[in-house]
Amino acid sequence: MKLTGRIFSIEEFATFDGPGIRMTVFFKGCPLRCSWCHNPESQRSEVEYARSPNGCLNCGSCLRAAVRDAKGDLHLTAASAEACPRRLVRRCGEDFTVAALCARIMANAAILRSTGGGVTFSGGEPFAQADFLFSCLQALRGEVHTAIQTCGYTDREKFAKGLSLCDYMLYDLKLIDPAQHRKYCGTDNAGILENYRALAASGKPFVTRIPLIPGVTDTVENLSAIASFVEKQGVDYVELLPYNRMAGSKYVGLLRPFAPGFDEKRAVEPHTEIFEKHGIRAKKM
Amino acid sequence: MTERVKRQLKLLNDRTYRKLRHAPEQDPETVILQWDKQTEAGEAARFAYACFCEKEAVFHGEDLFGFNRYCSGALPEKGRFGNIVIDYDTVLAKGLCGILEDVDARRPTADAKARAYYDAIAVCYNATFGLVDMYEKAAREAGNLRLADALLRVPRRGARDYYEALIMLRFLSYILRLCRCVHLPLGRFDRYMRPYYDASVAAGASEAELLELTELFFIAMNFDTDLYIGIQKGDNGQSLVLGGCDKQGNEVFGPLSEICLQASEELALIDPKINLRVNKNTPLSLYERGTKLTKQGLGFPQYSNDDIAIPFLTSLGYDLEDARDYAMAACWEFIVSGNGADIPNRNSFDYPKVIEKATREALPGAESFEAFLEAVGVAIERECDALIAHCNARPATVPEVLISSFVSPTIERGRDISGGGAKYNNYGLHGAGLSTAADALAAIRECVFERKYCTKEELLAALEADFVGYESLQRKLLDCPKMGNNDDRADRLGCYLMQRYSSYLNGKPNNRGGIYRAGTGSAMVYITHAAAVGATADGRRAGAPFASSYSPSPDARLRGPLSNIQSFTKFDLRKICNGGPFTIEIHDTVFRNDEGERKVAQLVKTYIDLGGHQIQINAINRDRLLDAQAHPENYPNLIVRVWGWSGYFTELDTVYQNHIIKRMEFTV
Repeated sequence: MKLTGRIFSIEEFATFDGPGIRMTVFFKGCPLRCSWCHNPESQRSEVEYARSPNGCLNCGSCLRAAVRDAKGDLHLTAASAEACPRRLVRRCGEDFTVAALCARIMANAAILRSTGGGVTFSGGEPFAQADFLFSCLQALRGEVHTAIQTCGYTDREKFAKGLSLCDYMLYDLKLIDPAQHRKYCGTDNAGILENYRALAASGKPFVTRIPLIPGVTDTVENLSAIASFVEKQGVDYVELLPYNRMAGSKYVGLLRPFAPGFDEKRAVEPHTEIFEKHGIRAKKM
Repeated sequence: MTERVKRQLKLLNDRTYRKLRHAPEQDPETVILQWDKQTEAGEAARFAYACFCEKEAVFHGEDLFGFNRYCSGALPEKGRFGNIVIDYDTVLAKGLCGILEDVDARRPTADAKARAYYDAIAVCYNATFGLVDMYEKAAREAGNLRLADALLRVPRRGARDYYEALIMLRFLSYILRLCRCVHLPLGRFDRYMRPYYDASVAAGASEAELLELTELFFIAMNFDTDLYIGIQKGDNGQSLVLGGCDKQGNEVFGPLSEICLQASEELALIDPKINLRVNKNTPLSLYERGTKLTKQGLGFPQYSNDDIAIPFLTSLGYDLEDARDYAMAACWEFIVSGNGADIPNRNSFDYPKVIEKATREALPGAESFEAFLEAVGVAIERECDALIAHCNARPATVPEVLISSFVSPTIERGRDISGGGAKYNNYGLHGAGLSTAADALAAIRECVFERKYCTKEELLAALEADFVGYESLQRKLLDCPKMGNNDDRADRLGCYLMQRYSSYLNGKPNNRGGIYRAGTGSAMVYITHAAAVGATADGRRAGAPFASSYSPSPDARLRGPLSNIQSFTKFDLRKICNGGPFTIEIHDTVFRNDEGERKVAQLVKTYIDLGGHQIQINAINRDRLLDAQAHPENYPNLIVRVWGWSGYFTELDTVYQNHIIKRMEFTV
């Protein structure tokens, strides 16, 4: 059987995912369950169907073709997509062979190269489909600049291999306290911090990204902990990504409730001064 | 921006200045009807009466230029000859009296027709001198001695510095619009104004002073635009070109061009509409400069590629130095400066109309897709023939005295532009709905000939029924390859259509001793003509709009801008360059920092470097988003960038859409 990867979206003009004009390939499936996740269709590895609320006739065609899982949750199906008279139900998750995905990227390679850009593998979590990721990176080596955007939750060997194969990394740091990380992201973070140390020691160019979630990650305690952690690794620049209240809209389309577990309306606090104290330049994106 | 500029800008944006206008004693139209419109003398008399109705000088605030409307009557476009870039070089250098001296020198040897033209010019100019003297006196009385003194010199005599040249431009705009030439492009401002700018610099004017003058002039261009109406309000033709090469091939972009860009960025007004001429050697920094304007959400600058436009023009018989001096008509038609009386928007060739008919008539008997394609090619030629016959049967003979006197070599020839006085007398035809037509052909190949989802008869029945009862077939058609996704299955059909159209039309003779030129524009017909075209095989329903100009169909779901620009640079655009831009929408959050701006600039440069002819970029605006809320089916590709993620706008909840719309109120 040919190796395939499951992709939920390919964006051609990603302006904030690394240097130059970039394509971003979004892998489907993620080991984390961050309560603020703005791409809920990225979390599960199974193919899903999502509907757009606008232009919906409320005819019920898609729901009649939906199925209930063992837990009793309702899911739209391929038949829902077929049934919608307005073409508003979209499939999330297409399986690509390495050759097919690389061909899609190479069709734009000349432009990506001429602008100092390349391709960014994001997600979801690209390391969750590590073999496919590695094969793509190998196939693109010497052709286009490659970057991985990761939450860092993967084992040490895989991380080292991915790091050696890509040209650039965008690494998320969310919460330093393990209990908080378990509470809001669903997993332990020891491996994430360990991989980050390896990244900082590797000499590979990378950027650290910190999502600012109101009352969760933007607290003085957490940002101070992040600042002293990255300072210890010799890092002097981070990017802060403020939470955006539009995150919830995609859940509705998947027939899922959005329960972020924090006060969405509260303004985020970048606290760039905390980073400055540690000699780190913090840029709010 | 100086305090003075701020005050003028506020005055303009308040719109209270319009209350100063007066209703004319008698409707000019009824007076005008007393004269014979078909003669030069009648035309001059019409104009003189319009001047006569402007009873008093009008100054707005700390006006440095004057020449504002006294009468409240709107003056819509009059005749066929809009979109002419007049010979600013000659007018600015000689002044109106200088032109009259030329006329007088030629009068003794002129024929009767020429003398009628010359006499009419004198009548027109004398009427304008009355206005000039009125403004000179009023300015002096108001204590505006700078303007009053300048008006003793210009426009009768040539300008000596930047300020005098700007007064002349304001004056020309005023009188030509009184003459109902509404679509009045400014042409290559930084080229022809450069000597006057340099003279002011040499006389000691600081850059700050010259910037302030430019800003006040740009503000003045926005006064009274509500009275000059093209197809829509705002369609008033005040395009202005910066950069590009001069007649000898030297780069024009310089300090004055920089000042214009800065002024436009600071003012964020709709006029003048900035066009940037670029080529394969244009540095990224200039595109970055342009992107700062795009960020303002105004929809310009529009970029035009010298490497494509100039060879197109020379291939159709324009002299190289005229081709190098090309400018923009009101929108995007490539026209020459100073000596052309082309009508570049004479009519529109609508690809979907041809496809609709060919599908009905030729598809049933077509044994193969190739045979059908050939039938489509023949149908394109027949449609060209029909359009040519239609246009050539309608001569443009109504005299155009005033604007003709500013176009060369009409005075030398003793004929106005309607009588063949200009050097170039060509017609341009648009080319609307290309992507809809290419997509329809791709769908026919896929559904009827290759995958055999349906028979020819079923397809025709579905089109006839506007897909009612054929929804699943319509869905299959909509899922076929679409132009704009860098997919040769659709793109090559688009190339085929352009090849058949342009190779047949280009160079065909018109009825003015000129030729036809093929383009990629749509003007307003992507709405107006589309309404009369039935369902098409791409899945488009009857009456639904085409894409605007040279862009993917509104029904096509797209991969993204990189595929898009590759689709639209596959054809050799040097063959089809009457005008009509590739249009791309980018969400304005992309512009929120320098990095995003630079990447947009890189995208534009890429389109040009790949051989694109013309591109305009929209930072998505609020009105569009509101329309998308009401009609989401028309906006499947409207992408919104939100912090680190993108989504389709129409897939967001209404509450989130409203959030963006609300935020966009504060963007510009």
